[in-house]
Amino acid sequence: MSFVEIANVSKTYERRGDRIHALDRVNLTAEFGEFICLLGVSGCGKSTLLQIVSGLESPSEGDVRVEQRPIDGNSHPEASVVFQEHGLFPWMTVRQNVEFNLKARGVAQAERRQTGTEFIELVGLSAFERRYPHELSGGMRQRVGIARALTTRPKLLLMDEPFGALDAQTRSIMQTELLQIWQTHKSAILFVTHGVEEAILLADRIVIMSPRPGRIRHILEVDLPRPRDTTSPAFGALVRAIIGHIHEDISLIARA
Amino acid sequence: MQRGLRLFGIIPLLVLLAVWEVLARSGVYSAALLPTPLEVGRVLISDAGDLLKHTQASLARVTLGVALAFFTAVPLGLMIGRFKILDLITDWSIQIFRSFPIIALIPLAILFFGIGDRPAIILIWLAAFWPLLISTIFGVKNVERTLLKVAKVANASDLLILRDILWPSALPSILTGLRLALGAGWLTVVTAEMMAVKSGLGYLIMYAQIIFRPDLIIAGILIIGTIGLLFDQMVRLVRTALCGWQEGLVLES
Repeated sequence: MSFVEIANVSKTYERRGDRIHALDRVNLTAEFGEFICLLGVSGCGKSTLLQIVSGLESPSEGDVRVEQRPIDGNSHPEASVVFQEHGLFPWMTVRQNVEFNLKARGVAQAERRQTGTEFIELVGLSAFERRYPHELSGGMRQRVGIARALTTRPKLLLMDEPFGALDAQTRSIMQTELLQIWQTHKSAILFVTHGVEEAILLADRIVIMSPRPGRIRHILEVDLPRPRDTTSPAFGALVRAIIGHIHEDISLIARA
Repeated sequence: MQRGLRLFGIIPLLVLLAVWEVLARSGVYSAALLPTPLEVGRVLISDAGDLLKHTQASLARVTLGVALAFFTAVPLGLMIGRFKILDLITDWSIQIFRSFPIIALIPLAILFFGIGDRPAIILIWLAAFWPLLISTIFGVKNVERTLLKVAKVANASDLLILRDILWPSALPSILTGLRLALGAGWLTVVTAEMMAVKSGLGYLIMYAQIIFRPDLIIAGILIIGTIGLLFDQMVRLVRTALCGWQEGLVLES
């Protein structure tokens, strides 16, 4: 049994009278410690898949298991989510935000403080722990979101385009930091992105999805050594290969 | 700078005072009908005991009525805002009941509760209830969806969601509701006291008309206005204290 098992998962829903086939018989497994990127154009169902694994949505058909425990609209205690819009509470300080997941679990205050301090330090925000989210830069906010997700020491980290709203430079810094964190706090990561280079830079495996209906098209192993050099020929070849796959899908859909 | 500018708020009041003075001296209305500001000022001192007694009576009723409204409307509003089914069930009723002019209920309140504090307080409660309820519901519904998702994946309890998410998120809106409720409370207390009670500023104003004391009427009105201003400033202070996180996030907290 794999750590994460996604078996024959389909998801359909109605929106303004239209029946939308968001996911069509998706099968995927992930091992503990693996970094997987879900890559695809918008509407390919990558975020829906992540929501289902996180327990925020239920699959219409099929079955998701984490550590053999079925996930059906209930969140797995060993999973944490980092949201695209970071999802910070505007009325809580950085520290209160970081400690929220622990508070939700009923962790005692002393322990909360200690763990909070540890992870605020990890993401380099010690000087800002009394600030409110709107007083921080975009990159800092996302660091808070990541710190909050890590406090429960999750075995599975679900990230929904976490760096999508950041400028290129900040994104690059955050990617490096995330890899460092992942290498010290081992966990499986499911990371949704539409950035081809981001996927190659981060992932052990890249799952390429295509829209209407949302499906897995290809699964690619990235066996470049880390840290990866985005300017190397091997990296460039992978970029071209993946873009080729995506274009092929898009033209297939356009013709259909 | 902003704080200093606030003091400019006194300018229109001084202008109004001047217009009143000119009007009273001009003789357009007889001096018996329209006293000068100074004469009203003298009444504030000479009748201070009476005015104070009636002010206290009105204040007590408004405070009690609005407090009752706060502690009933806010919890109910939090529930209605949180649970869609409650919203669907109560929506029509709220829209109907909040449209009732409270004045129209005074005769009914007197029939049921007689003359005294009870009908007045119940009417204030009713008047303050709706703005508080509606503001609370609105505040809860405005909670960012992502934040509730964060709570759900963190397996947060309903109590924690209520205390750490819904309440702080709705608080600015609830305090706006409180300002409206206090305004409605004052409006109601004066009206109710004119008919249903034998004390308070509303009663005093009505009584002053009967004994032909326009100076006393105006003094009563001035006190009501001043208290209205004080109450509003109090809610502002509470808001600054409790919603400090909004500083720099919204145009004015």
